[in-house]
Amino acid sequence: MRERSEFELFSKLSIGQYIPTGSVIHRLDPRIKLILGILLIATAVLAGSVVAILILLSSVILGLCLTRVQLRLAFTPLKFMLFFLFILAVIQVFTIPQYRTDGTVLLHRGVVKVTTLSLLSGTLLIFRFVVIVLGLSMFSFSTSTTELLHGIEHLLRPLERIGFPAHELALTVHISIRFLPILAGEAEQLMKAQASRGADFGYSKWNFFRKIRKMLPLLLPLFIVSLKHAQHMARAMESRCYTGGAGRSHFVHLHTGPSDYSALLFGCAVSASALLVYYLAVDEAVGRLLLNILRM
Amino acid sequence: MIPFKTPLIGVKRLSHTYLAGTDLSVDSLKNIDLEVFRGETVGIIGPAGSGKSTLLQHLNGLLRPQRGDVWVKDISILHSGEEIRTVRTHVGLLFQNPENQLFEQFAGDDVAFGPRNMGLSTEEVRRRVKNAMEMVGLPFSYKDRLTAHLSLGEKRRLALAGVLAMDPEVLVLDEPTASLDPDGRRRLLHILSGWKSSGTKAMVIASHNMDDIVETSDRVYVLLRGKIALAGTTRQVFSGVDFLLHNDLAVPVASELMHYLRKRGFPVSSEVLTDREAAQEVRGLYDA
Repeated sequence: MRERSEFELFSKLSIGQYIPTGSVIHRLDPRIKLILGILLIATAVLAGSVVAILILLSSVILGLCLTRVQLRLAFTPLKFMLFFLFILAVIQVFTIPQYRTDGTVLLHRGVVKVTTLSLLSGTLLIFRFVVIVLGLSMFSFSTSTTELLHGIEHLLRPLERIGFPAHELALTVHISIRFLPILAGEAEQLMKAQASRGADFGYSKWNFFRKIRKMLPLLLPLFIVSLKHAQHMARAMESRCYTGGAGRSHFVHLHTGPSDYSALLFGCAVSASALLVYYLAVDEAVGRLLLNILRM
Repeated sequence: MIPFKTPLIGVKRLSHTYLAGTDLSVDSLKNIDLEVFRGETVGIIGPAGSGKSTLLQHLNGLLRPQRGDVWVKDISILHSGEEIRTVRTHVGLLFQNPENQLFEQFAGDDVAFGPRNMGLSTEEVRRRVKNAMEMVGLPFSYKDRLTAHLSLGEKRRLALAGVLAMDPEVLVLDEPTASLDPDGRRRLLHILSGWKSSGTKAMVIASHNMDDIVETSDRVYVLLRGKIALAGTTRQVFSGVDFLLHNDLAVPVASELMHYLRKRGFPVSSEVLTDREAAQEVRGLYDA
């Protein structure tokens, strides 16, 4: 089998794709999944400890296994990001001052100074991103956009009393997500039409600026097409007498059952243990233990 | 009509799978064999989703063969690198609704996009733009018009001029007359037959409009679920009325009329394509 064509934008967009398998995770209440997702991201950002991140990582991978979607699909988008993450990690290792002064010095030549702490922070950065991206993949694999829409709307509904447009916001989010694959398809079509007329998209791989310049002729028609889509959409909504959130009933009713509560409990437990590990400085203990074992 | 022996485009045992290796994979082409010779027009018909567009995109290397190969003159698309851009100038592809793909502010610049990418001199680009625009019936003075201000028919002809300006040897068209009014359709078909009349060019047309196919094509391939179900001269293919109608395809009105007359026991020919031929057959019935 040959490599994919240079125009297939979809194949690179496996992040954000809904893959219905009907698993336990799929059947969870989207509100619960949203809360768990926010919890995961918050914990991953707050907990600056390798052990804590590993706890999060293993629970996310466990969740991914439960979705019964091929794990490969979740890891493919990471391949594209790893390069950038690595650069970010290197920058982190060499520049963040607080990490450069503390910790044991491993390497010191001129301005280059690597300490245990700076190395640790670089590694943490990579793992944090991996956890967050995998978590998002799990969420998008198992949640249809309609469910997401309902979840957001229900979660924000209490804010409607102080005039927050919860329904409108959810609808906007829904439409933007809904239109992403359509616009990707249009962009693909435009690239193909221009490539048919001799435009070069695939061969100057390393010439970044040339590549950007080649993208410019895509923007104008894409912009026009999206405005046209928006106009059609507005007309279609008008002709169905759409009036917005007030007084609308719903086709889908969300239910919270025992499995939802146990998922929530599990998520809270994981996040609490990760934070606990961080505040109790378990890393240092583990580090000392490892050093002792090495010295023996 | 096969005036030259070696085909301009040769497709050999071509297969293609969308989203290969995922749960969503779809076999869109299976073991396609197809040839396009100089001087002929090849029609491709098939219901929506039969793989027509996928096949057309293989003809100029927009899609690389997953299995099998496509040859354009003597370049194998499977093994080509840089030459793929030469292939794309040999084989001009015009997509469905090409008017949505115009992007330059001025009409002339849009036509010049292809020639400029070929690295031609300014005078040569200008000459080609002029030729191409006149070929599609747009005066050269239109080059300074705003693309957005042209009518649908004019935009479509402008898009065609953009492909013709590259001076391709094969023109590949996906639904060229879709959503045009009758006058626009006639003009477009007239332009296409004029372009092809030199005898060294070739054309591939995919269409749902069987009258377009009858008017333009010498040979027809019928695609069903990614396979070539039927191939032959236009007359041969459209004589299989039962087969085509059974597979959600249409036949020209004249062919269908003859088909039902024959079913009722009238001795009319099965190879009727045009209204004129049908009229002759009916007159023959009265004379007999």
